[in-house]
Amino acid sequence: MRTADIFSSLFWMAISLGICLEGCDLGLGSLTDPGGGFMFFWVGVIMAGLSGIVLIQAARRKAVREEMKNLWAGVAYKKVIAVMVALFVYAYLLNTLGFILATIPLMIFLFKAVEPQRWSIAVLGAVISTLVAYGVFRLWLQCQLPLGLLGG
Amino acid sequence: MDLFNYLGIGFSVALQPENLLYCFIGVFVGTLIGVLPGIGPVGAMSLLLPSTFKATPEAAIIMLAGIYYGAMYGGSTTSILVNIPGEAASVVTCLDGYQMARQGRAGPALGIAAFGSFIAGTIAVLGLMLVAPPLASFALKFGPPEYFTLMVLGLTILIYLAHGSMPKALIMAGFGLVLGLVGLDTMSALPRFTFNQMELLDGVGLVPIVMGVFGVSEVLLNIEQIVRRDILKTNIKGLMPTAQDWKACNGPIARGSILGFFLGVLPGGGAVISSFVSYALEKRLSKHPERFGKGAIEGVAGPEAANNAATGGAFIPLMTLGIPPNVIMAMLLGAFMIHGVTPGPLMMKQHPDLFWGVIVSMYVGNLMLLILNLPLISIWVQILKVPYKVLFPLIILFCLVGVYSVNNTVFDIYIMLIFGIIGYLMKKFDYEGAPMILAFVLGPMMENNLRKSLIMSQGDFSVFFTRPLAAASLIIALLLLLSPLIPWFSKKRAEIPKEED
Repeated sequence: MRTADIFSSLFWMAISLGICLEGCDLGLGSLTDPGGGFMFFWVGVIMAGLSGIVLIQAARRKAVREEMKNLWAGVAYKKVIAVMVALFVYAYLLNTLGFILATIPLMIFLFKAVEPQRWSIAVLGAVISTLVAYGVFRLWLQCQLPLGLLGG
Repeated sequence: MDLFNYLGIGFSVALQPENLLYCFIGVFVGTLIGVLPGIGPVGAMSLLLPSTFKATPEAAIIMLAGIYYGAMYGGSTTSILVNIPGEAASVVTCLDGYQMARQGRAGPALGIAAFGSFIAGTIAVLGLMLVAPPLASFALKFGPPEYFTLMVLGLTILIYLAHGSMPKALIMAGFGLVLGLVGLDTMSALPRFTFNQMELLDGVGLVPIVMGVFGVSEVLLNIEQIVRRDILKTNIKGLMPTAQDWKACNGPIARGSILGFFLGVLPGGGAVISSFVSYALEKRLSKHPERFGKGAIEGVAGPEAANNAATGGAFIPLMTLGIPPNVIMAMLLGAFMIHGVTPGPLMMKQHPDLFWGVIVSMYVGNLMLLILNLPLISIWVQILKVPYKVLFPLIILFCLVGVYSVNNTVFDIYIMLIFGIIGYLMKKFDYEGAPMILAFVLGPMMENNLRKSLIMSQGDFSVFFTRPLAAASLIIALLLLLSPLIPWFSKKRAEIPKEED
């Protein structure tokens, strides 16, 4: 985990510094009357120190070749990316298309994304699961799922 | 009013038809979640939280609590039949449970797991009834310094018990604290870290974060490497343990129950640790320790009793102090808040019906689980056969609908997806989610109590060291944080069983 820890500690260090700066902007106040940024600032300072410890610990370990690649070696990471992209697209279109019209294509994609299944099973599974979710959440629990195009 | 009057209130609440129904749904879903690897009780509770918005606070908490202890029951089924624990707390059940199944004794293994869990769950509820009232009365004397330091201690113990590097767990806790403080400052009403987003003025929601870190990220990890499960082809018959089995298990169940209850009070993975400690204890006390790992029924009974008793113990800090000892209790604290109830020392006085109703419902729920688990084992086995390629789209669908319906906004879906990616990367880079979530929930309370303490002491930090409980909590927390510097402690810490192992 040497390289991975170096990257992650640098990432957290940057985040910590951002938190400290924002804390200062919000105002530290005084010890008798701590301001809105007091906690942020000190948590940021502690996080930065801890990131430094992780960085030093990692730097003192022996390097392993192509370690970052090994984190994703032998796994289907493309499926992970595809699923996440589909979910972001879904979130983007949800209010416009409405729950039913947006969810059915997403479910068909998900049913076929990991291990290909027959179209009939994927479509049937998508329609049934979407309608059941709609029935439970919209009709029974009366949640305000977006109607989109079907709402007129 | 004495204990019996309170129990009367509890039974009158728990036995209402609506509450019985919610209790049944909770334990049923909990068992299902325990059986299915890939989604844990935290994910399931966040998933079902929106469905409780229309219910009374009693019904909502009864259902969510049912998911928690129901999952402990269900987790043993997969451990025994598939050698894959449905829950981290059932890991140790694999050792002897699966061996018993291979020897054709799956029935007694499942039976003793269910009976042991029932007995332990009942003992834990009795313990909760006896310990909670005096502790709540004592907690009324606590001021902001005590609350702040107790939260620091709770968080430190969780971090100490975290998987892997302690600095990484601390970074996660810091990140959780910062996330918890996003939104309007309670004292100055200034927006903090809101990035000019109206949706962030009320802070980041617990449900989207939990669903992202424990739901979506879990799905992503599973789809990149589909795990195939082979279910042992064995006839499950004779679920009732024999008289000899009972004789062997009486001691382990009793010891596991008491051990689990007290370890469950501790922050961190109480249920996980107690199951391992119970296993080690039974092996040490056994006249034939060589049988352990080869199908000893005591190796199933003790740990199963311990992990169920721990679930009861975990309610004590939440219900009496308002401090959640683990992520699941943090989730439950969120549910209490959503329903307008603040758990803590005053809860027993202000909401006796809710307090005692939930406790008694746990007893009723344990009875339901016993009735549910034994005859329905064949159904759970069938559910185990559902392939993940069918299961994961359904988990994602319920995450999406669940998270949207909390505030009816797509913004929460984006938050969930972002935290799904963060959770996925955290697991890849060996950072743990539990300290982050607990710190997220404790963050606002910690800040509030820290600021109040400093204002009341006029900026004097000695307020944390001059009050006995606050000083003791801080000293213990400090010792725990510094202990990895001592090689012996560092080695011992590495040996403690972890939630994510």
